[in-house]
Amino acid sequence: MRFSALRVLKEGLTGNKGWTPHWRDPQPKDEYDIVIIGGGGHGLSTAYYLAKNHGLRNIAVLEKGYLGGGNVGRNTTIVRANYFLQGNSEFYSHSLKLWENLEEDLNYNVMHSQRGLINLFHSDGQRDAFVRRGNSMVNQGDDAILLDREGVREHLPYLDFEQTRFPIYGGLYHPRGGTARHDAVAWGYARGADERGVDLIQNCEVTGIDIENGKVKGVQTTRGAIKAKKVGIVVAGRSGQVAAMAGMRLPIESHVLQAFVTEGLKPVIDHVVSFGMGHFYISQSDKGGLVFGGDLDFYSSYASRGNLPMKEHVMEAGMTLMPMIGKAKVLRSWGGIMDMTPDGSPIIDKTDIDGLYIDCGWCYGGFKAVPGSGFSFAHLMATDNHHAPAAKYRLDRFRTGYGLMDEEGTGSQHNLH
Amino acid sequence: MRLPCPICGERDRREFYYQGEAVALDRPAPDADERAWDDYLHNRDNPAGETRDLWYHDGGCGSWLVVHRNTITHEVYSAELARDVKGRMK
Amino acid sequence: MSNAVSALNGASSNGYVTVAERGLVGMVTLRGDLASKELNDAVKSVTGQEVPAQRAIVHGDMSVAWMSPDELLIVCDHAKADQVVSDLGAALKGVHHMAVNVSDARAVFAITGEKTREVLAKMAPADVHPDRFGMGEIRRTRLSQVPAAFWMVSETEATVVCFRSVAEYVFKLMSVNSVAGSEVDAF
Repeated sequence: MRFSALRVLKEGLTGNKGWTPHWRDPQPKDEYDIVIIGGGGHGLSTAYYLAKNHGLRNIAVLEKGYLGGGNVGRNTTIVRANYFLQGNSEFYSHSLKLWENLEEDLNYNVMHSQRGLINLFHSDGQRDAFVRRGNSMVNQGDDAILLDREGVREHLPYLDFEQTRFPIYGGLYHPRGGTARHDAVAWGYARGADERGVDLIQNCEVTGIDIENGKVKGVQTTRGAIKAKKVGIVVAGRSGQVAAMAGMRLPIESHVLQAFVTEGLKPVIDHVVSFGMGHFYISQSDKGGLVFGGDLDFYSSYASRGNLPMKEHVMEAGMTLMPMIGKAKVLRSWGGIMDMTPDGSPIIDKTDIDGLYIDCGWCYGGFKAVPGSGFSFAHLMATDNHHAPAAKYRLDRFRTGYGLMDEEGTGSQHNLH
Repeated sequence: MRLPCPICGERDRREFYYQGEAVALDRPAPDADERAWDDYLHNRDNPAGETRDLWYHDGGCGSWLVVHRNTITHEVYSAELARDVKGRMK
Repeated sequence: MSNAVSALNGASSNGYVTVAERGLVGMVTLRGDLASKELNDAVKSVTGQEVPAQRAIVHGDMSVAWMSPDELLIVCDHAKADQVVSDLGAALKGVHHMAVNVSDARAVFAITGEKTREVLAKMAPADVHPDRFGMGEIRRTRLSQVPAAFWMVSETEATVVCFRSVAEYVFKLMSVNSVAGSEVDAF
């Protein structure tokens, strides 16, 4: 089934009776060439690109809950390519290019909106850092424009420019940055993978990974044993537990990150805006809710809910930057489980076990990476070679100390990112 | 989340700095191999459930604590001075 | 030498308790082995007080407060603080310790009124119920976003100490938390 304007018109006139389910609900087979553990954004896009780019068909995605029910359905939906370090820069640049073609590619409206992203700076030192970052982005072939205070005011007249504590000196404007409808991204990839023959198996929790003589043989699940020639672990915050089934310990600590949504409002915030003093960033969803978030709560947690001090900090930072949002009512907040690496950058690599691959460590920035991560992980799983834009996401970089990507410059240590 | 500091009493999370899993009490020997140091510095059990981690009471008495808590429920079972835990390990 | 001035020049506010900056107060931080005889003797000879127990404060001409397992705070006249430091230095010669005059790095407030405990409870995570925080005790904790310490002078008065750099914040915090009509009758 293809979506088109004509189809929408026809269905509208005929009672919307012709729509079919987006994907099948298949029984797991006894054996697959490739099993992907995890039916979130990254797992679904991996399956999609394995099928589309590499012609593989005998693939299953195993999801313990429902498709897109984890972080891909609960995030602040920001899409950007404004990274500084080599390794990250080319990866996110590639991912953004995939985003820009995603709706055509998937024949699915993911509501990708390149509304522009502005990172504000509030001191000369921060300006220098953003000039440097902007140059790095331009060198990579992406877009970055340095705005002075008046330049920011043209875009964001509602900010508190008069406050003396954190004066707004300017901003780094990334016009191609923006947002997308997070659920639709999961659904679009699921539908695309399903159309190409991938079995998407929900309510199927992996309980063990079968390994013989250093080679992966399959997985044990709540719906029976499934043999597989290759297995990919793409389970975000749960990476530690699933890797433990293969006897591995990962350089990952799972932390909680909170985000918030207000009641629906008329359009008021046209961009994605981030505050440079205090952790706060905000955009407005197409439904009208203000979507905003802050920093980690900074302790390991799987509780999917955060603590009050970080909520307080986010609200304070928001009020400092744009006092007008004090009138908006927060409808809900949630806490996602973030797979934090010591250097804050992800891992897409083989493991020491033959046929077992891992894609994890997306920290608090996994959503924008969904296309690129799936594309590169599929390349790795299909060819056993690293895909160039993701070649630096090696698991052994922590052991060797070579190629660490500490984007925040705080040091490669667990509690600092 | 409130942590029961053995010296100051129960205080809220903001008085504490989080260090991470309490591996620092068991450092590898200085001449241990690269893998041992990698494991110590980077790799974590990252348990979903009970964990023991190190917190520093910087807003209070300045003690390092080993906190026994649950990462799924945020329940805090107990907190001990890290030096006492370390003392028992010797 | 320039005239010493307290952080807020004696600012005060009248809500359902009274908050007043106390002006210049002498404060000396002493760090060392609180269990050692040398340090105990030195504290006794310089301040006239015994080293207080954990979470305790003792009063006399000078007050001595427990701050952490290796730290005391000596409260004295502002003009005497330098003398206290040099006396401690002499008494502890050759003993590992640190004594510093921190008077001008601190701000001190008095909260007075029937509901003094309640105002503290609104700002601090420490338990200040009379059964848990009596006379002769000190709490080193936070007031909302910043570090602070406080003790009860009587059932209707508390002394609050914070860093000078956040004096205005703490003053406003206490004032706002004691605005008439915001009583919660916690105790």
